[in-house]
Amino acid sequence: MRKAIVLAALLLGATVLMTGCKLVKQTVIGVTEIDNTPYPQRVYWGDTHLHTSNSPDAFGFGNRLDSEAALRFARGEEVTSSTGIKAQLKRPLDFLVITDHSDGFGSVKDLYNAPRMMISDPQLLRWYDLLHAGPKGSMQATREVIDAKTHNTLPKALLNPVGAEKRLRSNWMAHIGTVERYNEPGTFTAFLGFEYTLMNGGNNLHRNVIFRDSGNQVSTILPLASFGTIVPDGLWDFMDAYEAKTGGKVLAIPHNSNLSNGEMFMFTDPSGGPMSAEYARRRAAHEPLVEITQIKGDSEAHPFMSPNDEFAGYGAAGWELGNLDLSAKASSEMQAGSYVREALKRGLLIEQRTGVNPYRFGVIGSTDAHTSLATADEDNYFGKHPGVEPSATRATAPQNLGSNTGRFGWNYLASGYAAVWATSNSRAAIFDAMLRRETYGTTGPRMTVRFFGGWNFKGDDLKSDWVKAGYQRGVPMGGTLAPHPPSTPGSGAPSFIVSALKDPIGANLDRVQVVKGWVDKAGQAHEQVFDVVWSAMDQRQPVSGKVPAVGDTVDVAKATYANTIGAPDLTTVWTDPEFDPAMRAFYYVRVLEIPTPSWVAYDMLRYHLQLDPAIPLKQQERGYTSAIWYNPV
Amino acid sequence: MVWRAKARALLSEPLVHFLIAGAAVFWLLSGRAPDLGERRIVVDKAVVGAIVGRFYGSFRRLPTPDETDGMIRDHVADQVYYREALRLGLDQGDEVVVRRMRRKLESLTVADAETAEPSDAQLQALIDRDPARYSDDPRTSFEQIYLGADTPKNRAAANAQLTELRAGRPVAAQPAPLPARLDRASAGEISGMFGDEFTLTLRTLTLAQWQGPVASGVGLHLVRIDSRAAPAEPSLAAVRQRVSNDWRAAAIVRAQADGYARMLRGYDVVIALPK
Repeated sequence: MRKAIVLAALLLGATVLMTGCKLVKQTVIGVTEIDNTPYPQRVYWGDTHLHTSNSPDAFGFGNRLDSEAALRFARGEEVTSSTGIKAQLKRPLDFLVITDHSDGFGSVKDLYNAPRMMISDPQLLRWYDLLHAGPKGSMQATREVIDAKTHNTLPKALLNPVGAEKRLRSNWMAHIGTVERYNEPGTFTAFLGFEYTLMNGGNNLHRNVIFRDSGNQVSTILPLASFGTIVPDGLWDFMDAYEAKTGGKVLAIPHNSNLSNGEMFMFTDPSGGPMSAEYARRRAAHEPLVEITQIKGDSEAHPFMSPNDEFAGYGAAGWELGNLDLSAKASSEMQAGSYVREALKRGLLIEQRTGVNPYRFGVIGSTDAHTSLATADEDNYFGKHPGVEPSATRATAPQNLGSNTGRFGWNYLASGYAAVWATSNSRAAIFDAMLRRETYGTTGPRMTVRFFGGWNFKGDDLKSDWVKAGYQRGVPMGGTLAPHPPSTPGSGAPSFIVSALKDPIGANLDRVQVVKGWVDKAGQAHEQVFDVVWSAMDQRQPVSGKVPAVGDTVDVAKATYANTIGAPDLTTVWTDPEFDPAMRAFYYVRVLEIPTPSWVAYDMLRYHLQLDPAIPLKQQERGYTSAIWYNPV
Repeated sequence: MVWRAKARALLSEPLVHFLIAGAAVFWLLSGRAPDLGERRIVVDKAVVGAIVGRFYGSFRRLPTPDETDGMIRDHVADQVYYREALRLGLDQGDEVVVRRMRRKLESLTVADAETAEPSDAQLQALIDRDPARYSDDPRTSFEQIYLGADTPKNRAAANAQLTELRAGRPVAAQPAPLPARLDRASAGEISGMFGDEFTLTLRTLTLAQWQGPVASGVGLHLVRIDSRAAPAEPSLAAVRQRVSNDWRAAAIVRAQADGYARMLRGYDVVIALPK
């Protein structure tokens, strides 16, 4: 009896052992000393959300590129995509976090590569055969897997704790080995991480989990599965346990709040009761950042909550209809819990009541590409998954998980990237900058944005080293204003240095805005968007409080634009004209580019497409900074 | 009767002649040698172990003797059907089988490359083939004064500002989130902030003198280069990690391509496109 169990265990472990021994040889990596600047002097660009063939859905959609290909591509190397197209970034990224789904990490790849005779579960056998039956079958299998995951009906064999753990460990260790080989402090930072694919029904509550540490520490844990859970508490416990065990650090970044049907940023705790201070503290401590924009839409602001903001609702088409698999439609009321600006307001309200702000988070953008290719440029966009890599049909192809309909290829955005003001290009420096929220997100363009808040910034500060002054006399994006010092001269209102520079190979800037949110004495939350500096200010005088549109140089037929409008640089010192020291508030910056062609316009030109005139072909790309908060004393 | 005598008797039987001749004909027509192994199904310890292991993996317990018997019967049936199906050519044109076989052979062709460890000589050869790839970027230390957009007006003003600077009088920069001074910046860093055109222009400027206006991807600048450091020859010790990664990635791609090319050489491929 005992012998048979040992035999069984050996058989199950056989493939594990074969792949496992490769690792041991690869873990010897030299330690490089990196110089850190006294304060952040340059911004580092990266993607904190990328899937490779280890993600079950990515593999099912045809992704055959592994972690190594993803890292090489991010570093600027040419890679051949899963559909056979040569792919290369115009500019390398500075850092990358590969975040494959922890649920079934490597499982579909293993299923595909398994000897068929080892598979006994009839559902798995069906998927196995579909996976091998060409792209169509593979897509079908993937849709079924995602459906099953969403509704917790995955076959037991896939969840089998002992076999699955061994398989997972082997895939995880191989992944760690590759990431360690590509992490090159000072030149390119490769982080370890995974995606915790938390769902409540089809309501998207996904989090990306990022480690500050090396493979030595991260290999002591396995990526935590989300199967069967609907609240993030288990993830936070896991993170606490990891830090206690290893002395390392880990953070989580929620994404696609726009597909959560109001559940990402709830007023209440998950049970529906009032959120306690303790719960708010836990959330804020574990989740210092939120992914504000990505391929599956933008989560900044929605016209339902921001009717006076003519730039709200960017990239909402299709995505605003409902949750991730469209198993439940979204009502207008739900949108409040799905968008970042509203969450920042809710945070103030909860803080007013409990003393703790659960939503004091910064923002980044990232791709969530399932192609292993971190692309966010309109003219070099490789799509959400291999089924929508460049082709004549991808713009109009229906894009639905499961059997619900309503979303199309053109709903995808070629978005976004994460910008981090760090003191060096290293795991420690970039991670620590994320912890202090000194970050911003863009829909792809690499614009440079600085944002400092303080009590006595003046226009004259811009004549000398204002960055140094910003750090010395104020706080950068992500910070909280110190209490107003009584002796400080000035109006008593906070002032902000706001400075934006165009992407050196991109479009000019239209305007820079400060978005303010606050809570009044009656306990009501409000928001207002201030245009603080814009191009051609003399000619573009505000009309009833709004700066007129910048104009439009887009030639859709040629997929071009001209930098004959807009400005390369927009900088000002702005003082809140409506400041009330009794009201808690936040301020963040939104930078808008002039209109440019969307990726669909480039496709149209490339493939000579005739498209429905309702499909938008141009847009104003943008960047969002982390907020600066004000708390009344 | 001894067995030799029996055999001799059998060989003289017409029926046996017929059977032997029939087998020969079958062998000729089928194109397959009559291999005794193909007609023998052996269920030994290893096979039973695999069957029991698979059961354990699914149900977390060992099978009962009845269940084991059932699975062995099923295994035998699998083998009989599988071999008969192969004999009938049912594997031909089955996409699942085709892809599965391709995948198996593909992994075999790259298995060696995946685990191979390059020698120092191999890595050095890779560096020597493209030293620029592995050498550090040239490093430049410089100051820059940003003058705003590249407009005729700003260009005209730039000349006056340059004269001021050269006379030792300060010139106010247009405020922008750009560092006034960069120390030992790599070409990659400079391009990231200013664009490639600017990086290339910097290489042509003389040292220790304010010059410009220099155009970048963000506008106009006055620039003074303080020092330039040519890249050192790449040493294997310094770039071992990167060059090993490159060697390994290339080895896998090459193994795949070579393996396929080798097999492809054994085939005539005829492609007739429809008109």
